[in-house]
Amino acid sequence: MTTTGSETGAPITDRVRELVGRSSPFNTARDAVNEAMIRHWCDIIDDANPVYTDASTASASVFGGIVAPPAMLDVWDKPGLHLTRDPSNPQSAALNLLDAAGFTSTVAVNSELEFARYLRPGEWLHSTLTLEEVSDEKQTGLGTGHFVTSRLSYSVGDELVGTVLFRVLKFRPGTGRARSAAEKPGPDPDPALRPRPAINRDNQYFWDGARAHELRIQRCNECGEQYFPPMPRCRRCGSLSMGYRVASGRGSLYSFAVPHYPQVNGFRYPVLVGLVELEEGTRLVSNVVGCRREHLRVGMPLELCWLDSHPASADGAVDSRGAISLPQFRPARAARHTETRRADAVAPGDELPLCPIPLTTTLIAGGALATLDYFDAHHDRDMAQQRGSKDVFMNIHTTLGLCERYVSDWAGPEAWWRALRVRLGAPNYPGDTMTMTGSVTAVDQGSGEATIVFRGTNGLGDHVSGTAELTLPASERSIGAAR
Amino acid sequence: MTAHRYAGATAIAGIGATEFSKRSGRSELQLAVEACTAALDDAGLEPHRVNGLSTFTMETNPENEVMRSLGIPELTHFSRIHFGGGAPCGTVQFAAMAVNEGVADYVLCYRAFNERSGRRFGAGVQERPAGATAEEAQFAWTSPYGLLTPASWVAMFATRLMHEYGVTSEDFGRVAVADRRHAATNPAAHFYGAPITLEDHQESRFIVEPLHLLDCCQETDGGQALLVTTLERARDLRQAPVVVEAAAQGMADDQQMMRSFFRDSLVGLPEMGVCARQMWETSGLGPDDIQTAVIYDHFTPFVLPQLEEFGFCGRGEAKDFITGGAIEIGGRLPLNTHGGQLGEAYLHGMNGIAEGVRQVRGTSVNQVGGVDHVLVTAGTGVPTSALVLGRE
Repeated sequence: MTTTGSETGAPITDRVRELVGRSSPFNTARDAVNEAMIRHWCDIIDDANPVYTDASTASASVFGGIVAPPAMLDVWDKPGLHLTRDPSNPQSAALNLLDAAGFTSTVAVNSELEFARYLRPGEWLHSTLTLEEVSDEKQTGLGTGHFVTSRLSYSVGDELVGTVLFRVLKFRPGTGRARSAAEKPGPDPDPALRPRPAINRDNQYFWDGARAHELRIQRCNECGEQYFPPMPRCRRCGSLSMGYRVASGRGSLYSFAVPHYPQVNGFRYPVLVGLVELEEGTRLVSNVVGCRREHLRVGMPLELCWLDSHPASADGAVDSRGAISLPQFRPARAARHTETRRADAVAPGDELPLCPIPLTTTLIAGGALATLDYFDAHHDRDMAQQRGSKDVFMNIHTTLGLCERYVSDWAGPEAWWRALRVRLGAPNYPGDTMTMTGSVTAVDQGSGEATIVFRGTNGLGDHVSGTAELTLPASERSIGAAR
Repeated sequence: MTAHRYAGATAIAGIGATEFSKRSGRSELQLAVEACTAALDDAGLEPHRVNGLSTFTMETNPENEVMRSLGIPELTHFSRIHFGGGAPCGTVQFAAMAVNEGVADYVLCYRAFNERSGRRFGAGVQERPAGATAEEAQFAWTSPYGLLTPASWVAMFATRLMHEYGVTSEDFGRVAVADRRHAATNPAAHFYGAPITLEDHQESRFIVEPLHLLDCCQETDGGQALLVTTLERARDLRQAPVVVEAAAQGMADDQQMMRSFFRDSLVGLPEMGVCARQMWETSGLGPDDIQTAVIYDHFTPFVLPQLEEFGFCGRGEAKDFITGGAIEIGGRLPLNTHGGQLGEAYLHGMNGIAEGVRQVRGTSVNQVGGVDHVLVTAGTGVPTSALVLGRE
C-alpha cells in the first residue's frame, strides 16, 4: 500500500485508514437507563425474565434490584429518529468516505458485547468510539467492500461498564456473487400444486375441520373411543354414530422421513415429513415447518400451525373442489427455565432446546423502534423495497435481544451475563421463522463460567451465529438459598 | 392350528423368466407370455394342460389374454391377490389350494411388467381422483405432505427402527452389500459383476432420508412365472418337484397399505408375524430348519424385522445377526442368494420364489450346501405372504 493519503486521488483504503486509531468525543445518552424502555424492550423481545421488570423479584435476586437487559447496552445512547453523522466521529467519517467512493450499502456483520457490570435504572451512560480497523477490499457474497471495525466503550461516570466491538461491511451494490449457473431449477414449490387429498364421506369431517383450522380426531359418539385414520363403525362398542373432538395441537415427533427424490411440484426439497403423536394419543402424518433437517429429533415437542395450501379460487377462477388447508407442525418453544441452572448441572455438549421465533413485521419494526433504531428499512416496507430489499429486515439490536432471550430462557433468570458475541448472515424477513439452536461448549466448575454457542437459522440460511458467556451459580449456596 | 392340506401335497414344477432389463422393448403381455412359456418348457408341460392362472391384482395382463396367447383352451381357476408386492407367495398358495382341491390340475403363477421403461412405481402417487374410494382416500393422510413413494413410506419406519433399536444406516447397508455380492456372481442379475462396498452405500445419495439410493431396489422390465401342481403330477414332469411345505398370507391389526403408522409399535411387521406363526405351526418346522432364505428386500430396513418375526433372532437383534455375517454365503442364513431385488431384479418378489426353487433343486449360482428347506417372503409393510419350499 502507498504511504500517506490525505490528498485526493490516494487509494480509498489509505484515506480511510488514516482514521484508524482515532476516537470520538464522549456521547451522552439522551435518557437515563429507565424502566419504561426496558419494559417496551421486554415486550417486543418477549423476554419474561422478572429481574428486568419486577421490583420485588429483582430485589430478592442476585442483582438486588431491577437491572437492564445486557443486550440493551448499546441502545441507551442511540440518537433516535434524528440521526446525523457526526464528522468528528471517525466511524462516521470512514463511512462517509466509503459512501463517496461508491461503497454505499451498509450491513452490520459482527457485534461483540462485553459486560463489566449490569446497568440499573437512573444511571446515565456515555460512550466513546475508536475506529479499530478497515479491511482491504474483499469480495463477499453481498458484494465487494470493506469491513469497518469500531470499539465502543461505555461508562457511568468514570466507571467502565462495558464495551462493544462493532463491524459493518460497506459494499458496492450489485457486485455480489452471481448464483451458480449450474443450479438446476427445481420444482415449483407453490403448495397449491401439492396432491389434493381425496375426500369422501368417511374423511370429510377432517377436511371440513382443517378448512376452519380445527384439527379433528374422530371420536365415537357412544363410547368416546377415538380413531385415526377414521372408520365408519366404532370397533369398540359397535356404534355407527361417529363424531369428533378437536385436538389441542400439542404433540411430539414420533418419527420422520425426509424425501429428496423424486421431486414434484408443490414442495421445497428436501421435504420434512413428520409422524406426529398428538397429546390426545392419536398420530398423524404432517410436515414439520419452521426448522431444518438437522433440527429434527424423535421426541421433539411440536405445535400445530396451518398451511392454506389450496385456495378456493385462484386467478379469479373458483375451484369447485373447494379450499384445502393442511395441518402443519412447528417446533414448540420450550418453557422458560424459572430456576437458574447451576454450573454443576451443566456440561459441555448439553443442547439447548430448539426455539422457533416467528418473524412478523411487528417484531421487526417494533424491535427496531424499541432499540431506538429508526433506519427506514427496518420499519418501512416501501423504503426497504426502494433500497433493494424485498421487505423490511430485522436490525442487529433486535437479533441481540432474541439471542439473549434464547440463552437466558434456558440458563435461568439469575445467570450473570459477561459477554454476547454475534455474527450476522442472511437477513430476517417477515413471514419466515428463525429457529434458534445452541449447545454448551465449556463450563468452569470453579468459577461457574459457562460458554454457550448458538445459531439462528431462517429459510435463507444462518441469520445469526454467536457465543454467550455467562456465570452460573457454582453451588447451591451461592444462589436461591438466601431467599 | 390344523394343518394346511395342500402343504406337502403340492409342488412347484417349473420356473421361467424373461431377461431382466431396464428396457424390454416389448409389451408387458408379451413378457408375461414369454415367462409362462419358459416355465412350461422348464417343466416339460404342454400349454394346453394348464387350466389355472394366479396373479396380482396389480398385474396389467389379464388372464384371458395370457390364456389366448399361450393356447390354453379353458381355465377352471383364476385368482388374484391384492396389495402389490405382498402377493407373490399368495399366488402360489392359491394355486396350491386349487390343485389340491382338484379345481385345477396345473396353475401358472405369473407377474410381468415394464416397471422401468413404463410405469415406474418409484414415481409415486401424485394425483388421486376426487369422489374417492376408501382405498384412494387412504392417500389423503400422506400425499399432501409429500410422502408419495414406497421409499418415503418405508423411511418413516426406518427412522423409528434406528431410534428404538439403535440400528444404523450401515446396518441397512450391510443388507445391500450382501445382496450385491450375491448378484455379482449371478449372470441373470442386472448387477452381475458389480458388487458394492459399505462405503459405496454410505456415499450414495439420499432418496428419502434415512434411505440412500443403495437401500432401494431396482426398477425392472421383465416377467417371471411358476408352475404349480400336485406333488403326484409333478413327479411325472421334467424337474424334481419342489414341495410347497408351508404357505401363508398375513394381515394384522390396524393394517394400512405400507403406511401402518398408527399402531402402538412401528418396529415389527405383525402381518409377517401372522405368516410366520401359521407356517411354523402347520409345518412343524422352525427357524432352525431353514438353511437359506429369500427375504423381501424392496428396501433394506424391512429385512431386519422380518428376521425377527420368523425367529432367526430376537427382537432388536437383527442388526447384530447381520453384522455377525449370518446373511453371507457360508453364514448361518445366506440371504437372497440370487442378489435379491436390489441386485438381481425387481419382479415384485416372484423372482425370489424362483431362487428358492433353485436352492432346493441345487442349481443356484450361489448354491448353499445341504438345503432341505428355504423360506421365501413377500412384500413388507403391506398385507403379505410367505412360503417354505423343500425337497421331497
